[in-house]
Amino acid sequence: MSGFKRDKKEEEDGGGNPFQNIEKTIVLQEARIFNETSVNPRKCTPILTKLLYMLNQGEQLSAKEATDVFFAMTKLFQSKDVILRRLVYLGIKELSSIADDVIIVTSSLTKDMTGKEDLYRAAAIRALCSITDATMLQAIERYMKQAIVDRNPAVSSAALVSSLHMTKIAPEVVKRWVNEAQEAVNSDNIMVQFHALGLLYHIRKSDRLAVTKLVARLTRTMSSKSPYAVCMLIRIAAKLIEEEGADSNSPYFDYIEACFRHKSEMVVYEAAYAVVNLNRTTNRELAQAISVLQLFCGSPKPTLRFAAVRTLNQVAISHPAAVTACNLDLENLITDSNRSIATLAITTLLKTGAESSVDRLMKQIATFVSEISDEFKVVVVQAIRALALKFPRKHSVLMNFLSAMLRDEGGLEYKASIADTIITIIEDNPEAKETGLAHLCEFIEDCEHVSLAVRILHLLGKEGPKTKQPSRYIRFIYNRVILECPSIRAAAVSAMAQFGASCPDLLENIQVLLARCQMDSDDEVRDRATYYSSILNRQDKSLYNNYILETLQVSVPALERTLKEYTNSNTEQPFDIKTIPVSVVSKPDDHEVKQKTEGMLISSGPAKITPSREENFATKLNSLPGIQILGPLFRSSEIVELTESETEYVVRCVKHCYTHHMVLQFDCLNTLNDQLLENVRVQLDTSEGYEIISDIPCPKLPYNETGTAYVIVKFPDGDLPNSIATFGAVLKFVVKDCDPATGLPDIDEGYDDEYMLEDLEITLGDQIQKVSRANWGSAWEEAESTFYEMEDTYSLSSMNTLEEAVINIIKFLGLQPAERSDKVPKGKTTHTLLLAGIFRGGIDILVRAKLALADGVTMQLTVRSTDESIAELITSVVG
Amino acid sequence: MGLFQKLVSFLGVGRKEVNVLVVGLNNSGKSTVVNNFKSDDDKVTDIVPTVGFSVERFQKQNLAFTAFDMSGHGRYRDLWEHYYKDCHGIIFVIDSSDRLRLVVVKEELDLLLQHPDICQKKIPILFFANKMDCKEALSSVKIAAALGLDKIMDKPWHISASNALTGEGLQEGVEWLTQQIRELLSVKN
Ligand SMILES: Nc1nc2c(ncn2[C@@H]2O[C@H](COP(=O)(O)OP(=O)(O)O)[C@@H](O)[C@H]2O)c(=O)[nH]1
Ligand SMILES: [Mg+2]
Repeated sequence: MSGFKRDKKEEEDGGGNPFQNIEKTIVLQEARIFNETSVNPRKCTPILTKLLYMLNQGEQLSAKEATDVFFAMTKLFQSKDVILRRLVYLGIKELSSIADDVIIVTSSLTKDMTGKEDLYRAAAIRALCSITDATMLQAIERYMKQAIVDRNPAVSSAALVSSLHMTKIAPEVVKRWVNEAQEAVNSDNIMVQFHALGLLYHIRKSDRLAVTKLVARLTRTMSSKSPYAVCMLIRIAAKLIEEEGADSNSPYFDYIEACFRHKSEMVVYEAAYAVVNLNRTTNRELAQAISVLQLFCGSPKPTLRFAAVRTLNQVAISHPAAVTACNLDLENLITDSNRSIATLAITTLLKTGAESSVDRLMKQIATFVSEISDEFKVVVVQAIRALALKFPRKHSVLMNFLSAMLRDEGGLEYKASIADTIITIIEDNPEAKETGLAHLCEFIEDCEHVSLAVRILHLLGKEGPKTKQPSRYIRFIYNRVILECPSIRAAAVSAMAQFGASCPDLLENIQVLLARCQMDSDDEVRDRATYYSSILNRQDKSLYNNYILETLQVSVPALERTLKEYTNSNTEQPFDIKTIPVSVVSKPDDHEVKQKTEGMLISSGPAKITPSREENFATKLNSLPGIQILGPLFRSSEIVELTESETEYVVRCVKHCYTHHMVLQFDCLNTLNDQLLENVRVQLDTSEGYEIISDIPCPKLPYNETGTAYVIVKFPDGDLPNSIATFGAVLKFVVKDCDPATGLPDIDEGYDDEYMLEDLEITLGDQIQKVSRANWGSAWEEAESTFYEMEDTYSLSSMNTLEEAVINIIKFLGLQPAERSDKVPKGKTTHTLLLAGIFRGGIDILVRAKLALADGVTMQLTVRSTDESIAELITSVVG
Repeated sequence: MGLFQKLVSFLGVGRKEVNVLVVGLNNSGKSTVVNNFKSDDDKVTDIVPTVGFSVERFQKQNLAFTAFDMSGHGRYRDLWEHYYKDCHGIIFVIDSSDRLRLVVVKEELDLLLQHPDICQKKIPILFFANKMDCKEALSSVKIAAALGLDKIMDKPWHISASNALTGEGLQEGVEWLTQQIRELLSVKN
């Protein structure tokens, strides 16, 4: 009680945080006291606490500073003070990644983890694993195994979780602890059971058969004491169902179904969640799962209501009928005192509801939208987006709502999601375009997020000129030039130039405005204005297309790298932008998919900005001998499997295209644990005209490792049609039999062997890079007079719908669709597909495919290209 | 130091805390030696190679020893120096049957003696010519000669032949060390 009072008083005095003003140098100075002969815990404890606090605040130590304080800290092992020792463990963990020679405390920690003092043991294990690297793991293996099966649950859990972390640095070693983990799964302690299952699954996860066995055994025998472990098992079972495409007779389904009757709510929820998220669920299971969620919607516990409504919300699009069954319950939740629950309930209803209920629900939301957090506002925005796509006629209600939301306070992510939604609606629904642009214009008048304003200005520049009355947008854009920061002013200048290039009658005015911008105080703004103004002066359509309407096509990281090389090289030759690979059209959903399927225990953390796939390849390929003379990497294909899955050897190929060469990268995996392969290479039976330049084998391929062999081939000279080819392929290697336990070969001499691979195809698409054309129409127009043209008519009898034809043509030609022409409007019988790309060597390609549905699909294909033979090639291969 | 403590230490009754450093090549028997000094309750039955260091405590004639039992493995020898400061004595254990590595022992010893934290100080050094029970074991005299111990002028030193498994020879050595440390402490005060 008195303690409470004192705290209270301190708070009032404003003395809340005793560590507020600590300084690094002073703390490090004070830490020298750790070196004194006899350790005084009363003095050392607060100093070590300060040090930890400081590190947790993000203070950076140099390696030297960290090492010094680390070694000073190791001397505290003399003290028997329990609190001090536990602080030392924390200190070890904090410094383990910065200080040198941290393994010095290994013996001290193993002593503590096996000692009598229970308060030390679990914490010592965690500290130990933070300092142990792959080479040292052997030394502590024995202790880890013992700790995993220790009777003390805290010790066992610590060892299991630490082992899981260790799999990142030494998966092979941790694999050997599987028996201990197996034993721990049978523990009576709920946490130990959960952690043990986590480790077991992680060890086994790449081996489907082993996972199947594990799940089969555990679903039958595991005492269902630990709800956490059961939840995990449900997740694994659900994953197996997806991977194996199991049907509802599968024992996994039985297991999940049985979990509906589990006594723990957590488990029941997990089972329902698993079922509704499965790709293929039968109506029976679905009904069961939904009724569970329905029940939870009426629970007095807010967490359960929240979980249920959130799950219903997530699956509302995939299972609308099932979710509609809960409409009544969801209606009840609209007035829930917990606003998060209410938001989810309303947005779920919006997703599944009829057009007639939109107005009523939108009114409901309006009553509390100001009370909910940004995160939930984003949920509302997403629901509106879905709604707008579903009921295009409702666009004005929704658009008004969105623009009201835009005017409210809110963070960048929230505002960006609103702007995105408006943009999506504009793109999807031509009728909504003008209103949408008007709302956005109004928004940038008062927008505090620079990046968002820049994006909107870009959009106005792109879409504004195509509207009925382009001139009305100029004022909004020019206002930005007067009022905003440099990056927005620069964006506004670029947007105005777009109008100048696309609308001849506005050109004169635009030139006046640009002239004013040339007096701007900012370099970038002046530069842009001068640049655009002088291009617009030329009155040359082709210049407009190439330098104003189209955006930069090359890959920016590659441009940066090449420029750096160029400036370092002292060459006399002018820089040639044509040598830079064009940027790859990114697929936005790639990342999302990956995140969803990744492991279930170790989170992958926030998304990282990664260099493009091509850049990664380029860096890797550059280390190959003789690669430099091939010039820059043009394009890398998708992965092609050359073996069936689950065979002795797995070979995958990536085809890297250069101007005149192809580098074939063969990633080989050896799945036989009694074989060591050496000198692994792929022998190709190339077709006419192709020439094999070099062959780079993979020297060694031990069990369960992936190695890479390369073959470099040269395209047929001056013979384009033959560049599309099929090669026979054989994997050749020397086998050395070895002992599965150690991986060491029994004998020195091996024998030659080979393995047939599937044929490798070099396609047209492998030699073409997709290019997204912002303004395909004007490029096409310009190409009429400057490019070669080929035209032909085809009957695609195997295609039954226009959609099917569109998908296949895009895939076959490897070109990028422009102006959203890959979307075929419903119910139409004709469609025009617009495509663009670049052939290796920097040759532009534009393709227009006019499709008509009549007993199959008829196609009139027009190809325009800067090179006649390429145009010919494309029209000829389609046939 | 307070007056009372001064008095106590002068009279030699109170228990003084002292730190010693136990060094030597790996496998020379350091951990076994230290284990032998510990009271029967604290002794461990199986001794595994030390990784890094381990702190051990034992009592000898009213002195409370804290021993830093260092790993003698090549990878860790460079790290001994972190613990040179503030130690009252050094126990240097030699495997007297390992003739091959005697030159390595000498090298490490010389490095230790030249280290700035050691060379200016009058720290007592106790050498154990350990594993005297082994057939090939050299006598302590030969070891002293091989290591050139007679050239150490500025520090008290002593060498005992020992068998850390049975404890033979250990007592004599540690008594000498205790005596030296006591003298050192009383001079300091
Ligand atoms: N024969 C014999 N073996 C010993 C003696 N002292 C230690 N050992 C053995 O030498 C090995 C290494 O001992 P250890 O104390 O771990 O050496 P450290 O690396 O210097 O700590 C162990 O197998 C001990 O049993 C001894 O006096 N005689
Ligand atoms: Mg040892």
